[in-house]
Amino acid sequence: MQAYIIRRIIGAVFVVFLVGTFSFFAIRVLPGDFATASLGLDAGSASADNIAQRKADLGLDLPIGEQYANWLWDTVRLDLGTSFLTQNSVWYEIGRSLPYSIELGILIMIVGFTVAIPVGLISAIFQDKALDYSLRGLAILALAAPVFWTAAIASLVVLQWDLFLIDVIGQPHLWENPGKAITWYLIPMFAGGFAGTATTMRLLRSQMLEVLRQDYVRTARAKGLRESVVIMRHALRNALLPVLTVMGVTIATIIGSQVILENMFNIPGIGNKVLTSLFARDNPVFQSVVLIIAVFTVLTNLVVDILYGVIDPRIRLS
Amino acid sequence: MSERSYWQRMGRKRMSRRGILRASARAGVGAAGLALVGCGDDDDDGQSVAQVQQQQQQAQQAAQQQAMQQQQQQAMQQQDQDQQAAQQAAQQQAQEQTAEEQAEQQAAQQQAQVSEKKYGGYFVEQSANVYETYDAQRTVASPVLQVLARVQSKLLRFSNPDTGELVGDLAETWETPDSTTIVLHLRDGVNWHNQGPGANHPAAAPGRALTTEDIVWNIDRQRNKLLESGEEAGNFGRSAYWGGVSSIDQGDMSVTLNLVEPDATFIQGFANEFNLINQPELVGGTEDQYTEVDASKVIGTGPNILTRWDPGEGISCVKNPDFWDLPNRPLLDGWVWVQTFQDPNAYRIAFEQKQVDSMTDPDPNTIFAIHDDRIDETFLTFQGVANTVAIFTPSNKAPWNDLRLTRAIDLAINRRQLIQQLHNGLGKVSGPVTWMQEAWAIPQEDLETMPGYRIDKEADLEEARALWDAAGGPELGQIDWVTSELWASRAAWSATPGIIAEMFNQAFNTDQFNGITKPYLEIIPSWIAKDFDPFFSWIPNIEIPDARADMIGAFTTGAGSNYWDISDPYIDETLIAAKQELDYETAYQMVRDVQEYAMERGQFGRSICYNYIYPYIGYNYNKIEKKSEEEGWNFLAVSLQAFEHWLDLDDPSAADRQAPSPVPL
Repeated sequence: MQAYIIRRIIGAVFVVFLVGTFSFFAIRVLPGDFATASLGLDAGSASADNIAQRKADLGLDLPIGEQYANWLWDTVRLDLGTSFLTQNSVWYEIGRSLPYSIELGILIMIVGFTVAIPVGLISAIFQDKALDYSLRGLAILALAAPVFWTAAIASLVVLQWDLFLIDVIGQPHLWENPGKAITWYLIPMFAGGFAGTATTMRLLRSQMLEVLRQDYVRTARAKGLRESVVIMRHALRNALLPVLTVMGVTIATIIGSQVILENMFNIPGIGNKVLTSLFARDNPVFQSVVLIIAVFTVLTNLVVDILYGVIDPRIRLS
Repeated sequence: MSERSYWQRMGRKRMSRRGILRASARAGVGAAGLALVGCGDDDDDGQSVAQVQQQQQQAQQAAQQQAMQQQQQQAMQQQDQDQQAAQQAAQQQAQEQTAEEQAEQQAAQQQAQVSEKKYGGYFVEQSANVYETYDAQRTVASPVLQVLARVQSKLLRFSNPDTGELVGDLAETWETPDSTTIVLHLRDGVNWHNQGPGANHPAAAPGRALTTEDIVWNIDRQRNKLLESGEEAGNFGRSAYWGGVSSIDQGDMSVTLNLVEPDATFIQGFANEFNLINQPELVGGTEDQYTEVDASKVIGTGPNILTRWDPGEGISCVKNPDFWDLPNRPLLDGWVWVQTFQDPNAYRIAFEQKQVDSMTDPDPNTIFAIHDDRIDETFLTFQGVANTVAIFTPSNKAPWNDLRLTRAIDLAINRRQLIQQLHNGLGKVSGPVTWMQEAWAIPQEDLETMPGYRIDKEADLEEARALWDAAGGPELGQIDWVTSELWASRAAWSATPGIIAEMFNQAFNTDQFNGITKPYLEIIPSWIAKDFDPFFSWIPNIEIPDARADMIGAFTTGAGSNYWDISDPYIDETLIAAKQELDYETAYQMVRDVQEYAMERGQFGRSICYNYIYPYIGYNYNKIEKKSEEEGWNFLAVSLQAFEHWLDLDDPSAADRQAPSPVPL
């Protein structure tokens, strides 16, 4: 088991390194830089010396190889630098953003899995009945509707009927002002959760159908066990194994969809930072938040892999 | 206000876009009105140019019928009127007395209403601006003015930024004893802020009285381009302007500027929003940190005190309790800028739930939709953007030094089509002087028949093709037309390189033109070296309404912005004379003559295209005391807004307002 975990960790570090390197070069390949972006449309009246001086102040005038080596060395020492835009340390920016992303991520997962698991289960139990068709139809709708579309439509409905306040400026945490925070998070958590539900629900349904046809389930029923015990103890536990893997991927997908949702509702999380830093060409923040997302995704998958190994000994042995 | 601002008046009259179209049709204002509201892609309105023209004809016919009916009725009424005339004469005297009494009563009521106004409120808006520095003198980027012009003062300020009317700011009065001398008499009783983060900075001198030394320090550092350390700095944005001062004499409370040469435009420059007066102690003492923006490095003498400046997060200021100017000013209690969001969905939520008081968006359709939904509680206006869009052809080098090619390009530019494609139809074509400098610009109706601007674009194109072919254009091979990366990096404008290439390819029936992008860092040096490729771009902010300095900079021999090496004795002579001309009407005509002369020559490769317009929506509780709500300003008028803006929180539209408060003193 130990060798298995070490192998997985080495692979994870390599993936994080590749993502970090990619983000470093990606933002530099894009047109424009912070020195000119900060001048906006007035850049045309700046002298070349003016822009060059600004780039030198920011370290953007160094050869790309030197910039990369500096970034790599600083990152290894956990020095993520200072935001060009806010002039705060990047760690401070991440520290401020992370709680929002975690709050939203947890809410999305709660909505997603609390809906997906019972719905997948019910759908399998009532296979080919009206209820099954309805739930599968909903799942297809959830898969087909982009998260931003669902969120935008929901926003327009709230605005049209003035249903509740979406406090995009106050940005309260759940522990500070639960009432305001929950109405602020309501649309993104349901839009995100709804989108994540479909895959899990459909997978669980198909796994359940397969498991329910297995001999040991038939044996359990033949022994006279109650149907609820057969389903919950014997079938569901085995059907959840592949679902667990998908849940890991789903968590990563949630982070991806949070980039959109956080921007749409001005939730100052990590996803929001990705876009704002990208548009402003705020290199230190962009590189760091992409790295943080990569670390989070890789860690989640690592935990899932390890859990998988714990649940199914055949995997760690192979 | 001249007819040329009709679009603004229409824009703020709380009409839906469909309403604006109908009004355009009724008034018969024609294609320019259509350009204003974006007829090209108004599928949602279901109105085409032809439909609007038809409406215009119907409106005219209806008006004619109505006029005939009125004539008949008038003839019938004439007889009765003659009989009544005698009785009316008798009643007239009594009526005049009544009218006088009524007028007095109305005036008294108005006075009472004015005195009953409850000025104040915290105005909240979103701002996605990025700030380069807190020192307005060391930048060319205008966003910083949105903050500083509310906090700091200038020598003079515009009472009407569109026409250039001036009032005193730190200088209470001014005089020009001769053509090269300006005497500024400083106001008594002006003190630097004595509260707020800036006043608490160790380098600041809070509460101190303004002195003539302060003014001289500000002018000297800019004209000499020198920092306190003695080091020369190349980033003083207005050094060329202040370089026009040859020497300064100080009096007790007066400053005398001796100019290098007669310059009738110089006084307006005092009111340029960039020419804010810094406190020498604070700004001089923090020059080595001039890019580290925060509220503690800002102190002023202006109507507000800055209480927060955290870039990317929030900015706020509150009313200066010791402000020296008019009673009640500023009318607002404070301002808040929320800097945390840009997404249109978040912006829309914030506006519709009254968490911010106004909204502007490059996509006009969102603004129009919100306005249509909330027609009773919002108003709509349009703000011209002073970045003038232009196409530059390097007419100083082969092959473009053949005037026929330069003219062909100028004629082939489809300015109105570009406004449709890139700005949803919100914009107006500009001649060599932009329409924003309205007193100096060629009126839109005159432009419609001038080369390159004709409504009948086919006539322009026929002429362009003939010139292109005659000058050997088809033999030039592939022509790369550059668009700056900064422009193309904006989502709404990302297709620009292709659009420009396609425009020329269609005009000349060719496939020679190819759109490419380049970074500004490549474009600017080549521009300064006068060795640039043809490109599509914009001329940076116009800073004052007087167009003479801009024209001289671009068109006279050896001038700083004359990247085309234009050298024409007629232009030199006329513009230099215009610069020294004190009679505005004469000066207007001189500038107009030069514009027409340039347009006949393809603008010498400096082909000005248009200025676009941003729509702006606000709730009715937003009030501007100085100018009616129905009209906006052409120009950046931050300092004017700082004085005249207030919120009427008793207005029904203010119900359920959720806006946050500024950081207090």
